[in-house]
Amino acid sequence: MTALMDFLTVFTQPQLLLLVGLGTFAGVYVGAIPGLSVTMAVSILISFTFSWDVYPAISLMIGIYMGGVYGGSRTAILLNIPGAPSAIATALDGYPMALRGEAGTAIGVTTVMSFIGGFIGIGVLALAAPLVSDFALTFQPRDYMLLAILGILLVGSLSQGSLVKGIFAGALGIAIGAVGRDPLTFAERFTFDFQILEGGISFIAVMIGMFGVSEALGQLHHVDKDAVRQKISRIVPSLATVRKHLPLSLQTSSIGVVIGALPGTGGDIAALMAYDHAKRVTKKPSRPFGEGAMEGLVAPETANNAAVGGAFIPMMTLGIPGDAVTAIMIGALFIHGLNPGPMLMIDQPDMFWFIVGCLVMANVFMLIFGLTGIKLFTKIVEMPRSVLIPLIMLLSIVGAYAVNNSITDVYWMLGFGVFGYFMRHYGYPLGPVILGVILSRLLDDNWRRAIISEREDLGRFFEGIVTSPLSLVLFVSVILIFVSQTPIWAKAKTRVFGRKGEQQ
Amino acid sequence: MQHLDPEHHDGNSDALPGGLEAERRPGELAFAILMVAASLGLLWSAYGIAGFEALSSPGAIPMATTAVMLISSILIVLKVVKLPLTRLETLAKDILPPVILIFAALLIAYGLLLTTLGFLPTSALFLIVAIKILGRRGWGWTVLVSLGSLLLIWLIFRIVFTVLMPSGIVPEAEFIQYFRTLFAGDPAQ
Repeated sequence: MTALMDFLTVFTQPQLLLLVGLGTFAGVYVGAIPGLSVTMAVSILISFTFSWDVYPAISLMIGIYMGGVYGGSRTAILLNIPGAPSAIATALDGYPMALRGEAGTAIGVTTVMSFIGGFIGIGVLALAAPLVSDFALTFQPRDYMLLAILGILLVGSLSQGSLVKGIFAGALGIAIGAVGRDPLTFAERFTFDFQILEGGISFIAVMIGMFGVSEALGQLHHVDKDAVRQKISRIVPSLATVRKHLPLSLQTSSIGVVIGALPGTGGDIAALMAYDHAKRVTKKPSRPFGEGAMEGLVAPETANNAAVGGAFIPMMTLGIPGDAVTAIMIGALFIHGLNPGPMLMIDQPDMFWFIVGCLVMANVFMLIFGLTGIKLFTKIVEMPRSVLIPLIMLLSIVGAYAVNNSITDVYWMLGFGVFGYFMRHYGYPLGPVILGVILSRLLDDNWRRAIISEREDLGRFFEGIVTSPLSLVLFVSVILIFVSQTPIWAKAKTRVFGRKGEQQ
Repeated sequence: MQHLDPEHHDGNSDALPGGLEAERRPGELAFAILMVAASLGLLWSAYGIAGFEALSSPGAIPMATTAVMLISSILIVLKVVKLPLTRLETLAKDILPPVILIFAALLIAYGLLLTTLGFLPTSALFLIVAIKILGRRGWGWTVLVSLGSLLLIWLIFRIVFTVLMPSGIVPEAEFIQYFRTLFAGDPAQ
């Protein structure tokens, strides 16, 4: 019964309700304006809401997150630029629809489908998370360690670009996270005898630099590009359209939840897999896929919003983020003194149910804002980049400064901004860096706990892995990711799956 | 997965990291080599933490990760070196055009001035210069837009988010106090 009360917290306090609404509204637009991203918005907001109470801060950020995942589809449809990784697949059929002058229909269907997918995801989260967290209590330190490695590797290998670069980025993130005095032995790590480094590098500074400043610098290349004007008319889809696609949307939502719930895989993978699934099961698409098929829009959009709920499962129960955005959400919880993991679910179940309530509310707001205010929307999206870019930079600086009131953090942020700019240009994914920074502590602690409990014996450590089914599954998955990138695997795959195996 | 849109290969959205699949971008090799050097330096530094003292030493994970960094960065160099240099791009035009350098300089200048001048004057200067450079509009428009958005940002973050920025030469606190007394009787603040 208390769970229900906690769940309803957000509905009974108008202030929190307002914040979720505000966040969702902002999220939709942030996701939709090319040059602004959810990761950027949430990482900057963490620092601003730092001094707030936990509830209002979480309400705002969940709103932004939910709205942003959905908002990313807008630019994908209108400009063929996915506003968030999860909208990559949306562009495949959404943009062709817009080219045919059906942008309004595309946006309408996307909105309703995101809503349906979002609800299914949240439902599964509410049912599964308590069970998973009970199960997670049996996890050994080595399992946590393996999970962390698996998460970083998955983000690195499944995002676009090469696995080697992803691995490099992930390892770099872990190293950045290790800077400073070791919390257990107080030994200095990577400080190079600079006093300034002893406290470590603020992960907020890294996040804002990588997702704020580096993105803004990259945008400078496109200052002169005009926003595309689109005439958008009717956008609320008819009930018949929704009913027609309901069976598909239920299937793809389940795909979304499952993929989202795996550590290291988030909405982007879910959307691509769902798109693939739709291609396979749809016998008669409204148009061929890739040329503006409605099914090609329904599948990724239900899946990526369902993945939001799914992604909260490992995040809340294990403390392992699914992708860059959830990594940042974990950072937000850290900042407010919460430590996501099985103990959070036991010590503070109210927090969990409160988050579920916020998600539900954000999902409803998303539907409302998605189907209204289309006039305002076209105005905001046309905001000139010559103003937008300097403002992003200013906000990044303010954000980096605000957490610790330290100018050093601003320098770090700028440094990582420039570094991130180069990484982007040369095809190094930034997601694994953030994941590495966030998971560095967890990885380090659990490795040391695991190896100490095995009396510093590597042989016994591996024996432990082999004899525990869970550890073994995790270990084999890690190995499989490596093998999947070698030529042997590619050969085997083409032999088994034929030419289809090329997509990955 | 191929890039969906060849126009956006420089990673202008989180979704699409830059880089070219089959070609080497200008400066890519230098960056990759720099990463090898950095990894080597970090590995050395990680070794310095505790050496090979114990598997559970504070240096174990740092050494393992920097070793992974070193190996992967070497693999990247080996791969990059084989790729042909792209003919369509130059360092000065596509990777580091003047506008990027100017903005990097502006950001550094901002960082340096922030503590002495304070948040409001520094940001005003930054926004005016930046928007003037990018917008290429008249001074009136530039100043109006810059100061308008600065005022908005300041109001939101100073009042709503209660973020304290270095006040520098502007007597910010006195200013706010003045308004508070003006609207006296509001105990909420």
